[in-house]
Amino acid sequence: MDYNNHIDFKDLWKRQSIKEPDMKDLMSRLHTFKKAGLRNVWILNVLLVVTSVFIVCIGVYYNPQFISTKIGILLTILAMVMYLFVYNKLLRNYKNISTTQTNQEYLQELLLIKKKQQFLQTKMIGYYFVVLTIGIGLYMYEYASRMSLLGLCLTYGLTLLWIGFNWFYLRPKQIKKQENKIDTLIAKFEEVNQQLQ
Amino acid sequence: MEFEDIYKTYWDRIFRLCMGFVNDYDVAQDLAQETFIIVWQKLETFRNESTIGTWIFRIASNNCLRQIEKEKRFQKSDLPIHLTEEKHYSIEPQIQLLYKCIAELPETDRVIISLELEDVKQAEIAKIVGLSEANVRVKIHRIKEKLTQKFKENGLQ
Repeated sequence: MDYNNHIDFKDLWKRQSIKEPDMKDLMSRLHTFKKAGLRNVWILNVLLVVTSVFIVCIGVYYNPQFISTKIGILLTILAMVMYLFVYNKLLRNYKNISTTQTNQEYLQELLLIKKKQQFLQTKMIGYYFVVLTIGIGLYMYEYASRMSLLGLCLTYGLTLLWIGFNWFYLRPKQIKKQENKIDTLIAKFEEVNQQLQ
Repeated sequence: MEFEDIYKTYWDRIFRLCMGFVNDYDVAQDLAQETFIIVWQKLETFRNESTIGTWIFRIASNNCLRQIEKEKRFQKSDLPIHLTEEKHYSIEPQIQLLYKCIAELPETDRVIISLELEDVKQAEIAKIVGLSEANVRVKIHRIKEKLTQKFKENGLQ
């Protein structure tokens, strides 16, 4: 008490007015809490799985003769599976951080996950694009080879234009946006972690 | 211990901890409710390795730290002593000043001092935060000095 200098902080602290605990409110929150967390995961998973199935169906339906087409299909699906795998693993990690460990351990784990997220959003997107582009290029070759020269140029030209737009415009923009957000967060978590060293 | 008993027993203490962290009544309310959602989900896994209090305080403080991600949600309002603004919950400016000063401390200091003011033993605080007991003692001493200083500056001693 001596360093309190006559200010009774404990007394002041406990005199804060508090609303009664509300069990009903808690239960309703519990319900929405469970729902919201899963929605985003489901959307991305369903979207990519449906696309993969669609590609396989087209592959089977047109019965491709060239090995390049089959490799193309495989690579395209591989790219999506690879991305989904890392994304889901990260989310699972994120959800499973134990909240019952000490603040110090918790912060370190949070930091680790944020760094992994940073990797997913920058490097991983790059790999995803490269594999996807090669996959699509190979996949199209069989069908494009039956077209006239103009058709071939047009098909590849437009596809590459679209991929180029994504690669050179959308991807850097997305990465920059995410990086700003996540870098600030990582810096902040590191700072807080430092407080406990 | 049944969940409902835990909820009623610890609600006040958890709310104050959250309030010390954010100094915003509504956000503190949200944080406290979120804490109990986690407690509700994890209660089966509680194995008496620590006291239930330590366990709950760990969840609450970690949840507060996690809120850093959503930091923009609670930009702390500037000193509301004479401007009573929306702060009609606590009448006394001294209480408001205390919570405001605490919410301005570094994040982990907020947790440490809140637990100290809740009469949590220093050995337990060490277990919650993950520091040595000696370290906690030093930190508490410094934080109290800082708070006293701020109270003096505001002429509220």
